[in-house]
Amino acid sequence: MDCNGDESATVKIIHIPEKPPILPHCQPTVDVLASAIEPKHANVLVRKLNHIAPLEGLRHIKRIRKTCLDGGKNQLFVILCMGSRNDGETTYLPEEVLELVNTYQLSTFTTKVGHLAYVMLKGLKFCFLCFVEMMSCSHCYFTPSHLIQVCKYAALTKEEWEEQCKLWPTSFHPPTYNIDGITGFSEEDSSSVLNFMKLAVSMAKSCTSVVNAAVIVDPSSKHVIASSCDEVQSCNPLTNSTHMESCCSGANANKMEKDPILLKCSSSEAKQSYDNISCLRPWGWLEQRLHLRPDSWHPLRHAAIVAIENSAARDRRLFPLDGHSAELAQEDCKVSSPIGSPLKRQKTYTNVKDDDERMECHRNGSLCDSTKPYLCTGYDIYFVWEPCIMCAMAIVHQRIKRVFYAFPNPNDGALGSVHRLQGERSLNHHYAVFRVLLPEHILKTVLLTTATKVDQCTTQISL
Amino acid sequence: MSEVDVFMKLALEQAKLALDSLEVPVGCVIIEDQKVISSGRNRTTETRNATRHAEMEAIDALLEQWQKNGSTREEVALKFSKCSLYVTCEPCIMCAAALSIIGIKEVYYGCGNDKFGGCGSILSLHTDSSEKLASGGVSRKKGFKCTGGIMASEAIDLFRSFYEQGNPNGKGDGEHFFRPGEACSCPCAGQPILVSIRV
Repeated sequence: MDCNGDESATVKIIHIPEKPPILPHCQPTVDVLASAIEPKHANVLVRKLNHIAPLEGLRHIKRIRKTCLDGGKNQLFVILCMGSRNDGETTYLPEEVLELVNTYQLSTFTTKVGHLAYVMLKGLKFCFLCFVEMMSCSHCYFTPSHLIQVCKYAALTKEEWEEQCKLWPTSFHPPTYNIDGITGFSEEDSSSVLNFMKLAVSMAKSCTSVVNAAVIVDPSSKHVIASSCDEVQSCNPLTNSTHMESCCSGANANKMEKDPILLKCSSSEAKQSYDNISCLRPWGWLEQRLHLRPDSWHPLRHAAIVAIENSAARDRRLFPLDGHSAELAQEDCKVSSPIGSPLKRQKTYTNVKDDDERMECHRNGSLCDSTKPYLCTGYDIYFVWEPCIMCAMAIVHQRIKRVFYAFPNPNDGALGSVHRLQGERSLNHHYAVFRVLLPEHILKTVLLTTATKVDQCTTQISL
Repeated sequence: MSEVDVFMKLALEQAKLALDSLEVPVGCVIIEDQKVISSGRNRTTETRNATRHAEMEAIDALLEQWQKNGSTREEVALKFSKCSLYVTCEPCIMCAAALSIIGIKEVYYGCGNDKFGGCGSILSLHTDSSEKLASGGVSRKKGFKCTGGIMASEAIDLFRSFYEQGNPNGKGDGEHFFRPGEACSCPCAGQPILVSIRV
C-alpha cells in the first residue's frame, strides 16, 4: 500500500455535513407574525411572549429586531407568534397574544392584526385592503404587524448567518466540536486516509463477489484496529486467514480488467455484481447463491457489524478485566461470543501487532488505564460503500469519531443518501462523515496491486 | 393478565438479569405460536460491543439454532415472518433496521426511547416504505406492526435502578451514565426520566 505525494494530491476528501448543503441565499424560511412595539415595553413583551408563544424549533431566531426607519428614527419589532402551523392550516392570533396586544396599547391595531393574520394564513402575501404586495402599499406602510419570513434552520456557517440576518436577525454558534478534517486535511493526513481507503477497496474486491468492507483505524497510531468484509453471504473460506491485510484479499488480474466494477460504480450493466453488497441490499439476504455453503450466512453480519465485533474482541484480549491473563480473557470471549457457531471458527485477528501492543503496555507498567480504549472512541472507520442505517447506527453506538466512504449508497445509505444520521441531534454521540473521491488511476492501481499480491486463492474465483 | 402482558413480563425478567449483571437493563423475548422461542438481554458492557443489544442477542440465538437444524434461508425467513418480539424499551435505530431486515411480524415495546428510538421516536423504520428508487428498482423494505407502552413504568423503574447504582462503564463516578463530551442522559440533566440509554 504505497502512496506517494502525487496520489494524495489527487484524492479529494469531502465533508458530508449534518444538513444537505444549501446556498446561503436559498435557505428555507418560515412565516412569523411581527409587530412594531414601544421600546419601553420590549423586555416585558419578550418575556411574556416567550412564555405564551414560544418559537418552537426556532431557537436561533432573535425575538426582537431594531430597524432604522427613514429619518434616522429607530423602530423595534417583535415576533408575536408563528405565522402558521406546520400543516398549513389557518391559525388566528392566539388569544393570549391578542390579550398582550390589547394590554400594551396595540389595541388600535387589533383588527388589522387579525385581518392580516387571516390574509397571510390564507397563503397570500398581499394587503387585505388593496391586494397590493404587502408593505409596499399605503395601507401596509404603517401597519404595525406583518407576516415576515425568518430562516427555518440555524446557520452552520458565517456566510449562512450573514445572509439570514438580512431577513431577520438570528444567533450564530459555530460548531463547538472540532473534529479533525472538517476544516481540511493536511497532505500527510490525506495520504493516510487514501491508504486506508485503498485497503478497504482491496478487501471489498477480493472475495468471490464484490462486497462491502469496513476498516477501523486508530488515527493517532495509524494502526488498523479491526476490519471485515460483509459476512451475510459468507465471504469465503479465506476469512480464516489469520492476517488482517490478507484477509479475503483475492482476485484475478485478468478478470479485474474485464470487470472494473469499482471503476464504474454507476453503470447499470454492473448492477448484477452488486447483489452481495449488504448495505446496498439489506433485504437481499434471502436470495440463494449457488456457490455458497448452506451453513454460513447471517442477514445482519454486514461488514461494520463484524468489524465492531472484531474490535471488541481485540479490546477484551488486550485489556482483560481485573488482572486475568490475556489468554484467559481470550478464552472467555470465545465462550461468551454472542455470535453463533458459523462464524466462531474465525479466531481471526490474533495478529502479531496486537501482541506487540500488549507488550508495549506491559513495559509501560501494567495495562495502563490511559491507553485502554472505551469502545471505538477516537477511531475512524473506512467503508467502500456508504453504510445502511443499521450499520450507521451501530457505529454511533460504538463511538466512532470519523467515517470515510468511497461510494454513495442510493438504496439505503444513511449518511447523506437516504438518511442523514449525522444530523440527528438527539443521539448521544456524533461522528463526522467524509466521502473519499478516488481518482480512477488510483482505483486501478489498488485493484492491480491486490491482484498481484494474492495467489493462493485464485481457485476460489468461481464467477 | 393479558397475553401481551405475560410476554412483556418475561422480557422484563430478562432486563432484570441485565441489571443484575450491571448492564443497561433491556430485555426481550421472541414468540412464535404463543411460545417463547428465544430471549436476550443487553450485553454491551460484558462484550465491550455497544451493538450487543437484547434484540440482537435474541435474533442471533435463533439464527444459530435454526441453522443448526439445517433450515434454509427461505424457511428462516418464513419463521421470522411469524414471530413477535417483546422488548422492554423501544428498539433503537440499529435494532429497528435489523428487525426490518429479518422481516419480523410484529413488535411490542415498553417505554419509548427519546434519544435513539427507531420505531417512531427518532426515525420510523417500522413503517412499510417500499419506494421507487431513482435507479428504477424498488426497495423492498419490510415494515412491521409496532405497539408501544406495554408495562412501560416497570421498564422505566429498571432504568431508574440502573442509574442509581451507576454505570460500570462510565468514568467511575458511580452516578452518571456518560462519557466526557457526551450529554448525560440520566435525570440529572433535567430531562424527563425517559430512557435514552441503550448502550
